[in-house]
Amino acid sequence: MLELQHYLAVGAIMFGIGLIGFMTRRNLIVMFLCTELMFQGVAINMVAFGHFWGNLAGQAFVIFILVIAAAEASLALGLVVLLFRQKGTLDADAWRELKG
Amino acid sequence: MQELLSVKYSFLIPLLPLLAAMISGFLGAKWLKGRSHWPIWLGVGASAALSIKLLIDMLALSHSGAEAGEHAAGLSIVWNYFTWISAGDFKAQAGFFFDSLTATMLCVVCGIGFLITIFSAGYMKGEAGYFRFFAYLGLFIFAMTCLVMGENLIMLYLGWEGVGLCSYLLIGYYYDKPSAREAAKKAFLVNRVGDFGFAIGIMLAYWAFGTVSYFGQGVGTGTGLLEMAAQSNLSATQQLAMQWIPFCLMIGAFGKSAQFPLYVWLPDAMEGPTPVSALIHAATMVTAGVYLIARCGVLFVTNQPAMVTVTVVGAFTALLAASIALRQFDLKKVFAYSTVSQLGFMFVGVGTLASVPAVFHLITHAFFKALLFLGSGVVMHAMLGELDMRKFSGLKRKLPLTRVLMLIGCLALSGFPLLAGFFSKDEIVASAWIHSKFLGLVMLFTAFLTAYYTFRLYFRVFEGPEVLPPAPETDHGHGPADAQGHADAAHGQSDHAGDHAHHNHEPALMMVPLIVLAVGALLAGYLNFPKENLGEFLGRSPSLQLAYEGAAHHYGDTGIAMAMGQVEIAEDWAKNNATAAEEEHSLHLTMMIVSGFIAVAGIFLAYQVHLKDRARAERLAASAPILVAVLENKYWIDEIYHNGIVEPLRDVGQAFFAIDQYLIDGVVWLLGFVPQVGGFTLKKTVQRGYLQGYAAAMLFGVAAILIVVLL
Repeated sequence: MLELQHYLAVGAIMFGIGLIGFMTRRNLIVMFLCTELMFQGVAINMVAFGHFWGNLAGQAFVIFILVIAAAEASLALGLVVLLFRQKGTLDADAWRELKG
Repeated sequence: MQELLSVKYSFLIPLLPLLAAMISGFLGAKWLKGRSHWPIWLGVGASAALSIKLLIDMLALSHSGAEAGEHAAGLSIVWNYFTWISAGDFKAQAGFFFDSLTATMLCVVCGIGFLITIFSAGYMKGEAGYFRFFAYLGLFIFAMTCLVMGENLIMLYLGWEGVGLCSYLLIGYYYDKPSAREAAKKAFLVNRVGDFGFAIGIMLAYWAFGTVSYFGQGVGTGTGLLEMAAQSNLSATQQLAMQWIPFCLMIGAFGKSAQFPLYVWLPDAMEGPTPVSALIHAATMVTAGVYLIARCGVLFVTNQPAMVTVTVVGAFTALLAASIALRQFDLKKVFAYSTVSQLGFMFVGVGTLASVPAVFHLITHAFFKALLFLGSGVVMHAMLGELDMRKFSGLKRKLPLTRVLMLIGCLALSGFPLLAGFFSKDEIVASAWIHSKFLGLVMLFTAFLTAYYTFRLYFRVFEGPEVLPPAPETDHGHGPADAQGHADAAHGQSDHAGDHAHHNHEPALMMVPLIVLAVGALLAGYLNFPKENLGEFLGRSPSLQLAYEGAAHHYGDTGIAMAMGQVEIAEDWAKNNATAAEEEHSLHLTMMIVSGFIAVAGIFLAYQVHLKDRARAERLAASAPILVAVLENKYWIDEIYHNGIVEPLRDVGQAFFAIDQYLIDGVVWLLGFVPQVGGFTLKKTVQRGYLQGYAAAMLFGVAAILIVVLL
């Protein structure tokens, strides 16, 4: 029988992988994918808690998260494409000059 | 009393001049210009008419009351319009208090004010900023009527500060002249010292009695400050406050009424136009201090140290100022020191429990000193701004009418028998004599000096060989006209040129007010002589009655009743103490003869050395060079103040400025600089542009917050 802890563990593992990926990779698309991974880790947590408490609010909230994540993904990928056109590379360090 | 029309419409007395001032002030520059005096003439004229009507009505009531045998509680009224200030327990009403003292003061202020506004239209003709002058005059009459009509100390304070403001504005009327600016600032700052004391006095009165109203709901209700103070069962705090209130109020009175040590502003105030010197700095504003002490007499009379202080300061100032006036050569300066000296007489009056003679002298002084100032204004006009009496002489052919009027004024001021100043000064001197022979002698000597310096001026200016000053370049001797009224000034100059062509130095517009004032200077003395009419009327003021009761109770002496205006009590006393009354009567008679003789002696001395043989005056002066130097330098009091007070204060100010500049500003600058350094360091070390770095910072930050919150 799957317990709450198992879901939470999966969520935490997904969040951790995303975090480590974000911290270690330089490729903008990969970094973006990592943020999405963290996102879904949190979403799993919410679904699991919603199920555990017998409350639909968690699941309903996740639907909203998915919609917003989709919108944000299209925006962010558009930005990445624009950034790539400027410099011809996907390396995040190419944009260090933005620090001001 | 309520049903009197003049009381019902009394709110117009301050309101009309204010309205007139607003019309002149706001419309004068563009539209009214040379006609700016009209609103003020109408406004102040209506106020004067209302004041005189009020006085007549109250006199009628006073007579009918006296016949019916009522004692005067009915002769006063409190008229509250609305609550002006309400803060916690503190309440101040916008209201008026009417009694015989108010009515008398109102007539002096509005009546003389009206005459002087008429004179001013002739005198100020063509001056730059003509409308400004009249707007300030209207504002002054508003403030001064508020001062005398106010129902409580806060209303009095409103008027007090208002007249101070107008005085400042009018002294600095020729603001393009540095000396006028300095004089205006000096007047304002010296008055600030006095007003500070006055404000503390009002606060103390509120602290002790819980009200600032003179008579609260009305006379006899015991809800007002003065009646509460007259009670015998005062609490400990009230007794403590009663020790200090008179001293605080006194400082205010000394400032406004130019008494030592705060008199230094008044001689400098002569930088203002001459009608202003006549109205504000001789006849009305400077008497506010005397009014204050007369109104709040009950707070003073039982406090012997306070009364002694008032008397001694008054006598000292009278003597000091009279001696300075001996060696002044500027016409207006002589009269300015003379005003300070005469105000000293009034303070001796109120200080020696003789409020009626003090107010009497206030009235007669208002007439003859306004006359003298306006007369010197005419001289100044004719001499094109020259006021140094060494530069002209023998003007009796050039200014025949002015000479006669000035002679009347000078005789009245010097206390020549049967003129106004004689009776009022004599009463004060007699009252001083009763309290202390030495004080009486000082006052007599001062009266002698007064007669001498007055006639020194008269003989030098109007008698003797005719000497005219060389025609100066500038019109009036005032500075260049300000740009705003340049067109007016140019117009005025051509007018004056016309005047000189026709040799008409005495236009009717200026002479008529002078004649009225001269009639006053001749006859005002008979207000209180041979019958004590003024005294009886003033004695019906609840303020004087309370003060008399307090004094009679405290000193156990009813012999002062006459000087406090309690005529009926005085008559009873005279019946019961026939010998004492006889003595006092003969004292008054002797005093009259002596002071009349002294006035004549002073005039004779002036005649000897300033008309018959003018070289003798110089020989006399040369024989006592130290005395002359002391007097000409006014005892170096201005220099002492400058080096002893002004300069040290300036140093203190500079020290504070340095503290502000370096210490306070330094700390503030440091407070800004530290975060700036921190931010700059962070920027160089942490914000390096690596997204991973930011993410790690965020991670550790959130982790740190979670640890703090959860553990």
